[in-house]
Amino acid sequence: MKKLYLASALAAVMTLSSNAMAIDSTGCGLGSMAWRGQSGTAPQVLAVTTNGSFGTQTFGISSGTSGCDQNGRITGGTQRMVLNFLENNMEQYALDASRGEGETLDTLAGIMEVDKNELAAKVHDNFAFIFPNDNVDAVEVTLNLFKVMNA
Amino acid sequence: MAKFVAVLLAAGLWALPAMAGVEDNPQWLALGHYRPQLTGGVESTVDTPNFFLSPEGKSNPKAELEATVALFNEGTDIAKMCVFPARYKFLRAQGLTKTEFPECKEYEEFRHDLRPAGVTLLFTDAYMNNPSSLFGHTLMRIDTSRKGTQLLAHGVNYGAFTAGQENSVLFAVWGLTGGFYGGFTVKPYYDIINTYNNLENRDIWEYNLNLTSEELDMFVAHLWEVGQTQTRYYFFTENCSYMLMEVLDAVRPSLKLADDFPVQAIPLDTIKAVTNRPGLVKSVNYRPSRQSKIRYRFKQMNEKQKKAYYEAILNQNWELAGLEESEKADVLETAYQYVQYQYVAKDLELKEYRRRSFQSLKARSRIDGAPHFAEHDNGRPPEAGHDSMRAVIGIGNRNGEAFQEVQFRPAYHSLTDDNYGFLRGAEINFLNTTLRHYDNRNKTVLQKLDLVGIKSLSPADLMFMPTSYTIMADIERVYNPQTEKEGYAFNLKVGGGLTYALTDEIWVYAMNSLYGSYGGFLPHNQWAGIGFAGGVYADFGRWRLLAEAEKVFATSHFAESMKYSAEASFSLSRNTALAASYKYQVNYGHNLDEFMTSLRFYF
Repeated sequence: MKKLYLASALAAVMTLSSNAMAIDSTGCGLGSMAWRGQSGTAPQVLAVTTNGSFGTQTFGISSGTSGCDQNGRITGGTQRMVLNFLENNMEQYALDASRGEGETLDTLAGIMEVDKNELAAKVHDNFAFIFPNDNVDAVEVTLNLFKVMNA
Repeated sequence: MAKFVAVLLAAGLWALPAMAGVEDNPQWLALGHYRPQLTGGVESTVDTPNFFLSPEGKSNPKAELEATVALFNEGTDIAKMCVFPARYKFLRAQGLTKTEFPECKEYEEFRHDLRPAGVTLLFTDAYMNNPSSLFGHTLMRIDTSRKGTQLLAHGVNYGAFTAGQENSVLFAVWGLTGGFYGGFTVKPYYDIINTYNNLENRDIWEYNLNLTSEELDMFVAHLWEVGQTQTRYYFFTENCSYMLMEVLDAVRPSLKLADDFPVQAIPLDTIKAVTNRPGLVKSVNYRPSRQSKIRYRFKQMNEKQKKAYYEAILNQNWELAGLEESEKADVLETAYQYVQYQYVAKDLELKEYRRRSFQSLKARSRIDGAPHFAEHDNGRPPEAGHDSMRAVIGIGNRNGEAFQEVQFRPAYHSLTDDNYGFLRGAEINFLNTTLRHYDNRNKTVLQKLDLVGIKSLSPADLMFMPTSYTIMADIERVYNPQTEKEGYAFNLKVGGGLTYALTDEIWVYAMNSLYGSYGGFLPHNQWAGIGFAGGVYADFGRWRLLAEAEKVFATSHFAESMKYSAEASFSLSRNTALAASYKYQVNYGHNLDEFMTSLRFYF
């Protein structure tokens, strides 16, 4: 009984936070990635300082930053990696999940170290659980995916 | 001073005897990006001083080698040593240093994030909405050994740092004359896919390279070295594609890829250079744009599916009435992709976009084990297309006067050239120069110089409504029927319109253009006009036809005209074609009647 209370309280908090986010911005749900990386012209990268001294210039991987409010809900390295992937690939993941196959599912299976056929079957069967509504954000999708895989 | 002496000593004691001749080693030259100069000697393509350890490093490979050997043999300046892992590998292989490579935290993290497993050269289609992407683009992918797919690999892009200048008038000027610096950036591959496939709707071609594990190590190490540097960016010469050639040369000097591009480096040509090196490309993979995928899926639908699909995307009727369950899956998936396209094209608000996306996928997820369409066809590999430069020789007749003509075009593609491997309906001509010899007058003249000629015909349908457009600037020898004299005028033409595909092969278009012309030879020195044109573009692969009729109204009687033109071409091989053209022009009560047959050579 206690567990059930806890679960519903958690669910309520989640719904609140995801709704709050959907109101004021694209948050990190479907469509939030649509504009990322849109350059329009030749690669426009913010200018790196052009001075010639060693070690002051930045070169490295510019990975997409998160628009997601994690609210401390994401724990552990694997969850973080899954979230990082999902928030950048939500549109394709949603499609792949609905049909139970695709590159994003293979990638997730690799990150989570699970069998890719098993993952594909599970996300297809539990699509409505993973994507409960159209404002669902990447954090929630990540948590739901873990729930489905651990069930 | 003491340090200086120590450096000299270090270099002298350990290295100098063995160093003789190493400065001319092709790999050393390639690692330093040294290129032969017209004035003799060599100079590095890299422009930032931090790439050189010797003050003379930019033009003196020997001094640079000595300074590098000294750096590693002295072994004290860890920060600097960490910048040059590729040079270190080279020195070590040459027996010029015995020092161990230091622990370099940032470099190790970089390698760990990449987890390199291979190198893939990427080509993206032309992007007609942007002048700097008309020729397509090339970049690299460092394949990853991470589990899963190459979505977790990283793309390496060499581009100009334009920092908010892209809307300025000077953008093109700086871009052509080296006013911008270029540099390397590294991003997750899914970001690259998102940018090219989904935002700009450009196909991506992946050429997986056959590198040894040492070469792969060298690639990553050298990328780290040049990643810290910048180089003046020249749109035609030292551009995105050219720098990648120099980087590949540094990894395997025997490739000598940069040697192929002394003047211009068109992205497609660099792909051809790489695919032509024996054994260099392991496999080729096609990753079509979202738009290509939608079109290909639509083609595979039966009539019932097409009807239901249009009902869904145009009228929001998602019932998909009349379809079997198994027929619905592909329609829903395609509709979802179309909704994504609409959102990116800003045709949908976020709320509505999410509603439609969710609705289509929820319905899709309820269907189990449906057979489905192929995601894409095999595409038409760009490296199989005709070469970029073109020469034409022709004979013709103008108003009863015979002429011979030669043309030379440095780049790139006309609508009546074989479009296999090119973006269909996209014409890009640069500096096409036409010389003519008229028999009667026994005179050779510059008939026309096309500075730039761009024409984009892109069919509109119920799904996509692209604008077709044309931009042309040329210097032309014009004939004045009143004075019966010829002279030069500068012409400008800008137009927009719509194209409609009657069938896959036959397109029709309507174009509305503005004209401006200037030249001392013209009556009143100038005229402006407006033209209304209708045309047919037929492309049956081996032969093509472009026919157009245009009525031009102008501020000067001189330019008021009705023009008819037709041009047909037939491919004899990948790089040769036969062509015939006819022009009939009525203006000022005078007719211009011109016919020409020609041979086209691509090289």
